[in-house]
Amino acid sequence: MKKEQPNSFVIAEAGKCIGCKACELACFAVHNRDNGVAAAVGTVTTPVIPRLYVIRTDSFTMPVQCRHCENAPCAGVCPVQAIVQEEGAITIDEDRCIGCKACAIACPFGAISLYKAYSNGQEHKQPYLRERLDGRLERKTRVIAYKCDLCHDITNSGNIASGEIAAAAAVNNSGTPSEGGGEPMPACVSVCPEQALKLVSQSLGASRSRKAAGLRL
Amino acid sequence: MTPNIDPIIHIDEELCTGCRRCAAVCPVDAIIGEAGTPQKIDAHRCVVCGQCVQTCAAYAAESEPALTSRAEKLRQRGQLSSVREPLFAAYSTGHALELKEALADPKRYKVVQCAPVIRVSLAEEFGLPFGTLTPGKMAAALRLLNFDRVYDTNFGADVTIMEEGSELIGRVMSGERLPMFTSCCPAWVKHAETAAPHVLDHLSSCKSPMQMVGALVKTYSAELDGVAPADILSVAVMPCTCKKFEAGRDEMNVDGLREVDMVITTRELAQLIKDKGIDFMNLPDEPFDSPLGKYSGAGTIFGATGGVMEAAIRTGYELVTHESIPNLQLDFIRGDEGIRTATVQIGDLELKVAIVAGLKYVSSILEQVSDGTCPYHFIEVMACPEGCVSGGGQPKLLLETQRKAAYQARKSSIYRHDSNQKVRKSHENPAIIKLYKDFLGEPLGHTSHHLLHTKFFSRSVKGELK
Repeated sequence: MKKEQPNSFVIAEAGKCIGCKACELACFAVHNRDNGVAAAVGTVTTPVIPRLYVIRTDSFTMPVQCRHCENAPCAGVCPVQAIVQEEGAITIDEDRCIGCKACAIACPFGAISLYKAYSNGQEHKQPYLRERLDGRLERKTRVIAYKCDLCHDITNSGNIASGEIAAAAAVNNSGTPSEGGGEPMPACVSVCPEQALKLVSQSLGASRSRKAAGLRL
Repeated sequence: MTPNIDPIIHIDEELCTGCRRCAAVCPVDAIIGEAGTPQKIDAHRCVVCGQCVQTCAAYAAESEPALTSRAEKLRQRGQLSSVREPLFAAYSTGHALELKEALADPKRYKVVQCAPVIRVSLAEEFGLPFGTLTPGKMAAALRLLNFDRVYDTNFGADVTIMEEGSELIGRVMSGERLPMFTSCCPAWVKHAETAAPHVLDHLSSCKSPMQMVGALVKTYSAELDGVAPADILSVAVMPCTCKKFEAGRDEMNVDGLREVDMVITTRELAQLIKDKGIDFMNLPDEPFDSPLGKYSGAGTIFGATGGVMEAAIRTGYELVTHESIPNLQLDFIRGDEGIRTATVQIGDLELKVAIVAGLKYVSSILEQVSDGTCPYHFIEVMACPEGCVSGGGQPKLLLETQRKAAYQARKSSIYRHDSNQKVRKSHENPAIIKLYKDFLGEPLGHTSHHLLHTKFFSRSVKGELK
């Protein structure tokens, strides 16, 4: 029987996060090449839609994003099976999504948000549903669910060379970043100026938790 | 026209998250505030370099609508209503809106100059790779924006070398007021005036290339074109936010007229091009206008750290020795952020030089000058990390991880542009030779002093500086 590995996920240390939003910006940048977003801010023509969100309270700030749950409740409630388990991550098929919001309600982390869909830098219009705008009936823009996909397609498409995705910072067995070559990191992890974000992969999270528990004894 | 009372660099309190990354890159500790709360700028201390603008990632998010509308924010920032990019907390005062209106005025004779590095970075705003070289498309776009003359700051860089090189030779021969510092970088000049007024005598008296071109536009070029200087709108496209401050300095005028009426950044030029609906990517290459559009390779390398020094040595060597410099590519001068030093043998003279890339590195040299132990003859200081390629008005990057690659590509492109020029020394530029023959007479002569040199003033406030 094939050994089941837990999904990877990115998590932040609130004590390190300074709330700069560089992670949000990087997330948007690498996911919107199809919308004409290149290296410069000036190439952005759509609203910035990230797939993680820096939250603020009176005492701390940190980014929150999808934990890639093993029994993903979002997938369980999706009426059109747009949410699937795919190569160690929970991903949304944005073409299939109907914008019903069930996943956003079901998510225990608030990691899913609904925004307008864009293609080629323009709002992606629906074929049938129309809305009244300025007295005229216009095709309504599609609204879809967005969430972290661990930069899955991006890290697999060789963007390390362009500097978009860093490969240098790997998480070692103690759960701390190590120097040297490692697996490609999601954009948010590689741009964080405070190294507040980490990719926790496979069993490393459990290992780290056990060590931490041991130290507390 | 460009106001000189505007602090130019601002932090939008509605958007600032108080992360203080701007404070970390500020070379003069001008950003004040507690972590987690909106920051403020000490306008006196600020050198207007715009590195905070480049670093800031706190943007106006869709999910957190700002108290003020986007349209109103654009208006407050002096930006065109057609700008679609996200708005960040740290920003520089824009002049694109004002320029768009001025360009529509048929009574003005509209002249523009472009800094060396605009041509290696402008294309990034249209999605092309870092360092893509587009001088011809840029000239074509500026004509479509309704400019009557498209000139080049590189020409002013060549004039600077003639004047500053002659000044250096004079000072070295007399042993007076050494070391001599470059004065091209307005952020460095403002810092010297504010934090180190005791070194002001050591600054070259030359105006920057931008101001030199501005002065020549309203005199030499106006005369050639038969245009009244008062009718000229003199515009500069710069990689630098502090150039807006420099153009507004009271002393930067020629016979009562401002030398440069308005400065826009690389980013603002791209916004104007998009606003006009110009298809930049498919523009045919066009030349700059003569005579203030003719430049040497030495003029073009001003945009990279060490460029002024390298250009000065190419000319200084030949003026002193009357021999051809054996190697035009001075690799020992080139580099990245930090301080580089070298000794250059020029005839019998061992010229000791230093290059400071990044204003935070200049303090040790200022201390040496104070205590009389500074061993250098000539020191280039550029406030931004790698010179103008990394200026505060350059295309802003979405990913911090790409910054090094961007600077490297822009520099490589500048050096490639230099190596492809037929004329690579300022004193061999035929347009420069003609300028001196027909108009200026000689470097450091009466006309040069009147138009191309200036004085610097202490801005020190007693007890304010640490």
